[in-house]
Parts: sequence; structure tokens; C-alpha cells
Amino acid sequence: MLSVQDLHVYYGRIHALKGVSLEVNAGEIVALIGSNGAGKTTTLATLSGLLRPREGRITFEGHDLAHLPAHQIVRLGVVHCPEGRQVFARLTVAENLRLAAAHRTDREGVTRDLARVHALFPILAERRSQYAGTLSGGEQQMLAIARALMSRPRLLLLDEPSLGLAPMVVETIFRVIEALRRDGVTILLVEQNAYRALQLADRAYVMETGYIKVSGPAHALADDPAVKAAYLGG
Amino acid sequence: MLTPSYIAQQFINALNMGSIYALVAIGLTMVYGILRLINFAHGDMMTVGAYLALAALTVLALPAWAALLIPMFVVGALGVLIERLAYRPLRGAPEVAMLITSLAISSLIENGATMTLTAQPKPVRLPAELTQRVDVLGLNFAVMDAAIVALAIALMAALTVFVRRTTIGIAMRACSENVRVTQLMGVDVNRVIAVAFAISAGLAAVAGVLWSGKFGIVDPFMGFVPGLKAFVAAVIGGIGNIPGAMLGGYLLGFAEVFFVAFMPPEVSGYRDAFVFVLLLVVLLVRPTGLLGAREVNRA
Repeated sequence: MLSVQDLHVYYGRIHALKGVSLEVNAGEIVALIGSNGAGKTTTLATLSGLLRPREGRITFEGHDLAHLPAHQIVRLGVVHCPEGRQVFARLTVAENLRLAAAHRTDREGVTRDLARVHALFPILAERRSQYAGTLSGGEQQMLAIARALMSRPRLLLLDEPSLGLAPMVVETIFRVIEALRRDGVTILLVEQNAYRALQLADRAYVMETGYIKVSGPAHALADDPAVKAAYLGG
Repeated sequence: MLTPSYIAQQFINALNMGSIYALVAIGLTMVYGILRLINFAHGDMMTVGAYLALAALTVLALPAWAALLIPMFVVGALGVLIERLAYRPLRGAPEVAMLITSLAISSLIENGATMTLTAQPKPVRLPAELTQRVDVLGLNFAVMDAAIVALAIALMAALTVFVRRTTIGIAMRACSENVRVTQLMGVDVNRVIAVAFAISAGLAAVAGVLWSGKFGIVDPFMGFVPGLKAFVAAVIGGIGNIPGAMLGGYLLGFAEVFFVAFMPPEVSGYRDAFVFVLLLVVLLVRPTGLLGAREVNRA
């Protein structure tokens, strides 16, 4: 479904991605783990068109994403739910959701998806006319995911969905990710909680300072002594 | 001197000036909200609008409503064109690059108008139905005075509905929080910015037409001072905030007119200085302006 080959990305003169290659197949959850600064967020931002690669190819179902503007990448079904929630604080919950679906032409589909995100996150239905800035951190993360779903993702790029959240909310978020898999959404998951990510994912890539260091089936990586020592706390 | 009718007259004046400042300030604040650009060429959109209205009334002998609508749409399109040619290529460059570009556009318009139309102010003759004076509830004013206030309020009400209810209005507010994330919603940000420039320039053109109608004169530099004052109004209201720009515009109109009306004549010459002192006082008390939010993280 998604194929990334030899991606090189720079921030000014800093060489942030040094030849990243990865594959995501339809229906999979693929985890991207690694320490801070390894290039996970940079990888997602490049896939969604926020950053431009200097070299390399990104193909999604035959489309070349490396040269498309971000809003057209969304319209192809590659939806990026960014790190740190980034909901629009001065828009209401309902407006946040409406904006994410504004490019869609299937009105019934939008109505159906709104009902679905309200079923996944009942609190958002309750708070629909509140400003997003007044929500708690956990509620904002739910809104961020709900908003991504309103863009009808076929490939969801999910960046650090559990970061800084209370354990109960983390459970809710992971349950939703599982529910999305059952609905057939393909997910590329960046997650600092490597242990949980490897439990959930089918396959995983481990990044280190701009490279893919190891890759393989998630359960095999979870048992790999080197990965354990470096990312799973021994 | 301070008769009730004098005070009423000043009140109407203040409403007029406030309406015009508000219309100009809205456009400044919209563009600033999205691009962080202080658009120095904004006042010149008033000038272009006023000249177009004059041409419509005299050369083309069109009725007053056409002399309002033509500048609004033509200057709106001009705003889009300027954004496309001058500002979009600088997207991502340091903010000061766009600011200097806007100064260049301003001087291009002012000097272009001087060269082709001369710096000589041209008189504007309003149609008789607009200069006619009427008495309503003991207030005596020209139809034009009422038209300025009514038109400004109608446009602001329409804009408020647009920004609150339509998808592109929501996208505009989203952009003013975070342009990058707005793109991730599938929103074509270039389109949103183009609409913001169209509205911004169109409203400034209307303000220019009203200004030239009220003062009966058009010249190449007429937009400069009201543009500057509208900037003050936008900052007082909280730059980036549209209701703030409306509030700031009226506040400034009232402060300025009442300062001139009620201070002794030897002091009233300092009206422009007074406006800036007012700005300083507001910013000392509320650094983000009256309705301004704190700067959200744009990383």
C-alpha cells in the first residue's frame, strides 16, 4: 500500500533522515519505534507532505506523494494525526471535526463517520459545542484521533497518541486503535511506549538517528535481546 | 459650546470614523492572523477603491451603488493578485521579507497614482440624495453619514456570519491558529489565504469609498494615515482577532473625535499623537490587546 524508498530529509543543513525505507501493507499496523530524535516524527511529516524529501520515493497506491501538497495527500486517504494533539483550541469540538471532513463530497459518509467517532468517544458528543482549548489533554487526544477519522483515512499516520496521558486514557486510545484495525484502517504508529506498540503491531521498524536499524515481525522484535535492552527497559 | 446638538453631531462623526477604521482594521487583522504579515499596502487599497469610485461616478456616470460595488470587487481581485505575485513566493521566508514587500507595493501604488493622476487632490461630488440632510429623533445628519454606519455594520455582520458558519470561515480561523495543521485537514491553505486577501482588500476599498465620500476628496496618499490608524485599532483590539478589530476601530473613532471635539483647540492638533498614546496605554494594561488571545504555539 505504502512504499518508502531511500528517503533523505534535511532541516536546513541537518541531515535528519539518511535513507529510510519502509513498507506498509493494507490492513497492517506497523510500529515505528526508537529514541527521541531518531527521526520518527520527521518520517511521518515527510509522508504527509509537511516536509519535502531531498531524495527518495514515496508511493501510495501508485501515487507519488513526494511531490504532492499536503492537502492532496489527505484527499488520497493518507491522514496524519500529529504529535502533541494540535487541535484547534479556538474552534469548537464540532468545528474541528467538520473542518477535517470539509474536503469530502460523500455527505452520507460524513454523517456516518461522525456517528462513529461519537460512538468511539462519547465525551466528544457531549462537548461538541465547547472550544477544543477547554478540553483536558486526554479529550484533546481523542479529538485529534476523531478529527483524523473524519478525513476518512485508509492509511492513518498516528504520532505518539499516548504521550503524556493518564493510564486510563492510554487504554481508551489503544482500544480505539484496535477497533480501527478491525474496521480495516491501515496504521503506521509512532509510539514512545515501545512495549505497547510492539504488542499491538504486526510489524515494526526500529529507528536510530535517521536510519532504520532493525525491522521485522513485532513479536520477534519484542523478544530480540538488543531491542529489549535499548527500548524496552531490559 | 457643548450643546446637546453639538454632542450629537460629534457622536455621529465618531460613529462614521469608527465604522471606517473598523472596516480597514478587519482586513489587517485577518491577514496578520494567517500570515503574520503587517500589510503596509493595506491603506492603499482604500486609495485605489476611492479612485475607482470617482471614475465610476464621473467618467462612467454610474449610480452610487455601482461606485461602491465596482471598487469592492475590483480591489478584492487586486488583493488576490498581489498575494499571488508578491507574497506567496515569500511564504516560508522570514516574516520581515513580506513586510518590506508590502512597503514596496505601497510605494508603488502611491507613486504610480501620483505619476498618472498627479498628487493634486480630486474633489468628489456625491449624488444629491446622499448629501441631503435629514432629521431623525432630533438628530440632524446627512444621508451619507447614516449610509456609512449602516453599510459598515451590515458588512461586519455578514463577515461575522461567514467566519463563524461557513467551512472556509472555519478554515480561516484554523489557519490563524496553525497553518501547518490546517493543511493536514485536507484544506487547501492557498485558497483560504486568497479568500482572506479578497475580503481584506474589498473591505478596505469600501472604506476608501466611504472616506472619500465623507471628506469629498481623493488623493494618492489618502490611505496612509487611516491605514496606520486602522493598524492601531487592530492592535488595540488584539491583532489577529476580527471582533477585536471592529471594537478597536470604533474605540479609536470615538477617542479621536471626542478628543478633538472636547479638548481646547490648541491641544486638538495633537489628535494623531493622542491616538498613539492611547495605543501605548492599552498595551501597557493588556499587552495582547483587548480581545487578543495569548500567542498559541505554532511549532
